[in-house]
Amino acid sequence: MSEVVRRVRGGGGWARSSPRPLGVALPPVLILTLLFLYPLALVVQQSFQPGTAYGDVFASELFRTALWTTVWIAVVSTLECLVLGFVLALVIAFVPFPGARTVARFIDVYLSFPSFLITLALLFIYGTTGIVGSFQFLATPWGVLLAEVTYFTPFVMRPVLAAFSQVDTAQLEAASSLGARAPRIIRQVILPEALPALAAGGSLVLVLCLNEFGIVLFTGAKGVTTLPMLVYSKAILESDYPGACVVAVVNVLISVGLYGLYRVVSRRVGA
Amino acid sequence: MTDGIRFDSVTVAYDGNVVLDSLDLTVAPGEVMALLGPSGSGKTTALRAVAGFVRPASGRVFLGGRDVTDLPPYLRGVGMVVQQYALFPHLRVEDNVAFGLKARKVARGEIRTRVAEALEMVGMAEYGRRYPRELSGGQQQRVAIARALAIRPGVLLLDEPLSALDAQLRSGMLAELSRLHRELPEVSILYVTHDQVEALTLADRIAVMDRARLQECGTPRELYRAPKSEFTASFVGSANLLPVTVGERGVFFGERRVEVRGVVPGAATLCVRPHLVGLGAGPNQLAGVVREIQWRGATHRLYVDVDGHRVVADVPELKKPPVYGDAVMLHFAPEDAVLLSVGVGDE
Amino acid sequence: MLVHSRKAKWAVWLVFAVLFLPLFALPLLVVLGASFATNWSGVLPSGFTVSHYTAATRGEALQALTTSLVTALTASLLALTVGTWAALAAAGLKKRQRRLLDALFVLPVAVPSVVVGLAILVAFSKPPVLLNGTRWIVILAHAVLVTAFAHQSVSAAIVRLDPAYEQAAASLGARPVYVLWRIRLPLLLPSLTAAAGLCFALSMGELSATMMLYPPDWTTLPVLIYSATDRGALFAGSALAVVLMTATLLVLLIVSRVRTRASYR
Repeated sequence: MSEVVRRVRGGGGWARSSPRPLGVALPPVLILTLLFLYPLALVVQQSFQPGTAYGDVFASELFRTALWTTVWIAVVSTLECLVLGFVLALVIAFVPFPGARTVARFIDVYLSFPSFLITLALLFIYGTTGIVGSFQFLATPWGVLLAEVTYFTPFVMRPVLAAFSQVDTAQLEAASSLGARAPRIIRQVILPEALPALAAGGSLVLVLCLNEFGIVLFTGAKGVTTLPMLVYSKAILESDYPGACVVAVVNVLISVGLYGLYRVVSRRVGA
Repeated sequence: MTDGIRFDSVTVAYDGNVVLDSLDLTVAPGEVMALLGPSGSGKTTALRAVAGFVRPASGRVFLGGRDVTDLPPYLRGVGMVVQQYALFPHLRVEDNVAFGLKARKVARGEIRTRVAEALEMVGMAEYGRRYPRELSGGQQQRVAIARALAIRPGVLLLDEPLSALDAQLRSGMLAELSRLHRELPEVSILYVTHDQVEALTLADRIAVMDRARLQECGTPRELYRAPKSEFTASFVGSANLLPVTVGERGVFFGERRVEVRGVVPGAATLCVRPHLVGLGAGPNQLAGVVREIQWRGATHRLYVDVDGHRVVADVPELKKPPVYGDAVMLHFAPEDAVLLSVGVGDE
Repeated sequence: MLVHSRKAKWAVWLVFAVLFLPLFALPLLVVLGASFATNWSGVLPSGFTVSHYTAATRGEALQALTTSLVTALTASLLALTVGTWAALAAAGLKKRQRRLLDALFVLPVAVPSVVVGLAILVAFSKPPVLLNGTRWIVILAHAVLVTAFAHQSVSAAIVRLDPAYEQAAASLGARPVYVLWRIRLPLLLPSLTAAAGLCFALSMGELSATMMLYPPDWTTLPVLIYSATDRGALFAGSALAVVLMTATLLVLLIVSRVRTRASYR
């Protein structure tokens, strides 16, 4: 019977919906269209203006480097965030130490800070006058990578910690009483449980890394140019709007494309 | 007088799955009708069709003689109590009870008296200022009933209202519900349950449901004494169901001829209630071997193997009960045996 | 429960500390330390001073803080209204329409903030709607950016909402609008406040779109922090960053107070 009732929730009954559900959905959609979809369409339109063919932009060395830098930093950051986030969450959830809860709460607070704080801190640690000394680490892509891993790992940890709290500890005890050692338990019991959360966190981090601007801007280095950075410099510093629009379109296609792909893949995995 | 609730060949389907198959049923004003059946039998769907939460694919639903099939739930004016009570957690008990009256824009003074009245009726007058989370399961149940009654509905729908309570509270609440119905004799009650004890105790009539269909409808006594199908026989009370052959020379259980009340042609199952099976010699004797014996205080329950068929007998407590493997003789009176036609309700 | 021997536990904890402390705790400590210093050439900062804070709480900096607060509050309120409305409307739609609406409202997460800024700049720099140079262009951009998050968290909460409550209310004679105001929204209140907190925090730290759009008289705190660090005033920038974090945390604290009071069971 409960199965039947659950199916009713999806629709069918008309108690839930208001008389004209489509009409009710209209105002927010209109607002979104006016403030987001229409401007985005204008960007696409501008990118096709005569004078700045896509060819010119694609041909430029700066653009191609930026494209490559953006993608590889984002992909590597995401992978590192996934590994690091999983390991750290594992310790907090299953080898808890006094204060583990505080650390978990600290993760939540961390998420509410802006990303450029990390770069600001790194400027003191690795910058020219900093703790480590005049090591021009921050001017390289590795500096950006470090900052992104630092900032985005909590975005993986939070959903994973939430998933871990659903893991039945009796299951772990049963597994270890059957003689399974920690690596085996992690692989066979915990990892499958965390997979959807890893997929969700990973996809979010990937797209946020592709779109990250503050971290790169704050390094102040000319050595690292990413696509969002290129959009900014073309539009604001050079006032080359059509050129900025071309880069923006490419950036959107990559972000939305990868995000969509990741969603499809993670749904297959069972997210 | 018009009907309380009437289903006129109501069919409900989800994604092509028929979950309620052309139900025809009438509940008279003031009558308590139990919808009894296992899960998936369509009983809750029938109740939700009355409340207006499922739309029939075909057929009409009438309340007090009015066709309500196309009315949204909020215009139907039925009281409803569900398994988990669904008390609004952010409202105090008194505001929960007042909710339906406020939604109907009843005058404030009137609301106050009717809330007090409804809470008084279920013995919860003291608890008006509490929040639902501060109440026990039984108390929440009472508030849910008060909330449904406050709008003075002509029809009360109860969907497994006691299944979230423990056994002891349940029998107390059953008595309480009977009392409430005596106080409100004009209210029709549709009571959905899978528990035959609740149905037998409370209902004026029972509608037995199985696999989306109404199998049989009658008073508890009729269904118990003279069920028409094997399903009803085994679902309402417990039953011994023995395969028999009906011929011109009488009714035969194996080689044995048995005397029964009224012979239905084509019938092939004999139904005898365990407590009507006696131990020792008598009419309709069956010889068998004891396979199990359970002491149940006032009675002994014997499981006896008769030619490969299991016969259950509930007999008054025995001074010297038989033991496993003993040969015993069982008997039953012809008027206590009912012949069932095979295939009723089975398609 | 995963690691049993005492020794192994300590080893695991050591690894955790080695990974966690430098990566996550150190950056915040460094910014905090720098905000009280004038010089950092060794391992520790030197030249203790509170002058950065005196500067960070008056004049231009105070102006930027109020700008940020006003922007974040207004944008969060707008985003919450539109996002909640969309999520509630989506719940009443058929499956395919609901998916489409949800996808539409998630889209701003996938689009880079810089591009959102550029798009709004392109769209509202010319008539009929000329917003460039006003504070509204910044506020609207922030609202667009955080609406997706509001919509997602409210959507998730609506899915979790037991339909039994609305149905009980409907059977008691409450019309859909009455059910919405008296039952659904109050029951969603804890999630709404959580979403509001998230939107507020995101908007407070927003830099990318703001950099594309801000008029001189509507400089937010992150922009001010950037211009400070860009001209080499790292220590003053750190103090501003601490002010930003503190303000964000204070508002989040108030929001979570409201949430605790609004949550039942």
